Amino acid sequence: MMRLLLSILAGFFMISFVLVSAIQAETIKIPVASPFTGPLASFGEGVKNGALLKADEVNAGGGINGQPIEIVLADELCDPKEAAAVATRFASDPKVAVVVGHLCSSATLAALPIYREAGLPAITPASTNPEIGKSSPYYFRNVYKDDFQGDFLARYAKKKRNFKKIAIFYEVNDYAMGLKDAFVKQAEKLGLRIIGAEAYMAETTDFKAQLTKFKMMRPDAIFIPGYAPQAVLLISQARSLGMKCAFFGGDGLDDAIMLKNPDAEGLFVTTPFLVDRGGAIVKEFVERYRQKFTIEPNWFAANTYDAVGLAVAAITAAGLDREKVRAYLASISSIEKAYQGVTGATYFDENGDCLKAAFVKVIKNGQWVSAEEQLK
Amino acid sequence: MLTAILEQSSLFLQQLVNGVTLGSIYALVAVGYTMVYGVIQLINFAHGEIYMLGAFISFSLLTGLFGVGLPFGLAVVIAVLVCALSGVLLDIVAYRPLRRAPRLAALITAIGMSIFLQNLALLIWGGQIKSFPRSVIPTFFFEPALEFGEIVISWLQVIILLTAIFLMLALQLVVHYTKIGRAMRAIAQDRTAASLMGVNVDRVVSYTFALGSGLGGVAGILVGLYYNAVYPTMGYTAGIKAFAAAVLGGIGSIPGAILGGGILGLAEVFGGGYISSSYSNGIAYAVMILVILVKPTGLFGRRLHDKA
Repeated sequence: MMRLLLSILAGFFMISFVLVSAIQAETIKIPVASPFTGPLASFGEGVKNGALLKADEVNAGGGINGQPIEIVLADELCDPKEAAAVATRFASDPKVAVVVGHLCSSATLAALPIYREAGLPAITPASTNPEIGKSSPYYFRNVYKDDFQGDFLARYAKKKRNFKKIAIFYEVNDYAMGLKDAFVKQAEKLGLRIIGAEAYMAETTDFKAQLTKFKMMRPDAIFIPGYAPQAVLLISQARSLGMKCAFFGGDGLDDAIMLKNPDAEGLFVTTPFLVDRGGAIVKEFVERYRQKFTIEPNWFAANTYDAVGLAVAAITAAGLDREKVRAYLASISSIEKAYQGVTGATYFDENGDCLKAAFVKVIKNGQWVSAEEQLK
Repeated sequence: MLTAILEQSSLFLQQLVNGVTLGSIYALVAVGYTMVYGVIQLINFAHGEIYMLGAFISFSLLTGLFGVGLPFGLAVVIAVLVCALSGVLLDIVAYRPLRRAPRLAALITAIGMSIFLQNLALLIWGGQIKSFPRSVIPTFFFEPALEFGEIVISWLQVIILLTAIFLMLALQLVVHYTKIGRAMRAIAQDRTAASLMGVNVDRVVSYTFALGSGLGGVAGILVGLYYNAVYPTMGYTAGIKAFAAAVLGGIGSIPGAILGGGILGLAEVFGGGYISSSYSNGIAYAVMILVILVKPTGLFGRRLHDKA
């Protein structure tokens, strides 16, 4: 009796295993790597939603040549060590032809050599450090670079806000330092005075000592190349010390956490995507996103949506061959061949980088709104 | 010339205020380390997590995670009581079974409990930084108590300082003038002898954990308000800093922990303000190392004689 029961059970497991693997064999895996937990989880939330929305749409339209796609989420906590581990996993999976990720520049730079060695193409929707494209023929991105973003911010600060004295707080990581350097370079050309640049680590919570120092020098604005969790504390602490200056930063400060803090009123940031810019395709995307997730899409969602779109286009055209996928992506090299997505036209230069517009948005009455003055 | 001097001195004073505020928070946490070490010679690495729990529990009570948001004072009192209770529970569950085991076993358990509590908080509250909504905190906290030229001292800073001073004085009274305090000191001197004299060691240790954890909880709440940030790993760095403060003052000595906390807070703020923010932690620890080099037992530490 026992033996019979066992063999039935074994048979059942075997059948279900075969069934499951049969179903799995039919899907095309597209891994998406980003922090999904930890302090930057809310950025990852956008990445996840954007990827899932795109996958839903592709699958509703019959998938890739009849095969549905499956988004495989990999949480790397924005930690370079974790990112390298995740990258190794993807690189050794022969069914993976292209990766979408990572979010933080430091994570992308850690994963980059692994993808390069494995000949696995990857598209980052969010890493803006200038080194990424140059360092690997297998890395593509559909977001602007920090040398562009920093340069843009300096010009905006000077021309549209007429700031004269600026203090800088930057986080010690590849993204923030690249952004800071590009900003300082252009600021010096424009005659903006940088009265000081203070570094901080990701775990810093107390900025009062350095803020006090800057307070005496009366800056017009404080520039924060870094991420929102620290910047939001910094801004509150500055206000509690009675500082009235303006605050601005790059796309790393673009987070809903800022909206909950009344001290952040007036903060402006660069962003690759504005809900109210762009035509019907953007409106439709925003509408569907709101329906599915009941929140507004942020730029991480929009860029990931397009990055997954690019990956799907590449697999559709080139199949699951890594080299062919890379060649296909590299062939998108001019505005005529560009991939048209919700973040505009994406096409790559010889490094796999792309040229995209930056916009400025500002917090007004606790909401992100497009800045009245945009820099053309 | 005169304005420059004025500016420099007001800069100095503002940094002094920042440093004393930070120092008093470190002191509150450091006392918890030192008290537990005093009675059972255990470095309770999970103490930082109790501090984190204090911040999270008060956050949840205030924002109405459990139904309605409680009034500020009540939420703080409950959070501190929960912290005290968690400390006692921590001791009963994790440390008491190991009381006669080698000290290393209890130390490793403490590290384990620290990781466990951190992940528990991650599970319950998530990894994102939580901020107290302004509406749940008395508004005057963020208003300046004193504005003098460029110097601004907020009410919150005043409250942190006064709370720390009050609690430290109260603690001294408890330790020196109550029966339970006398029992604590007796156990610190010689556990075996104390128990032979009829002191209920387990009960006194529980009281010690309750007191230390309660103070840690208060510090957690104050820090959560001061930086307006509550997150699961907040106890880790604060715990290490407070531990350094306790060592600097001489571990086992309560006045030592208070002084150590103050020194560390000031070193960090002045190091960050006058030298470079990248080195503020390094400078704080360098001060500690220097003191230990000159006086290995810490400022108020007594040489431990071997107890067989």
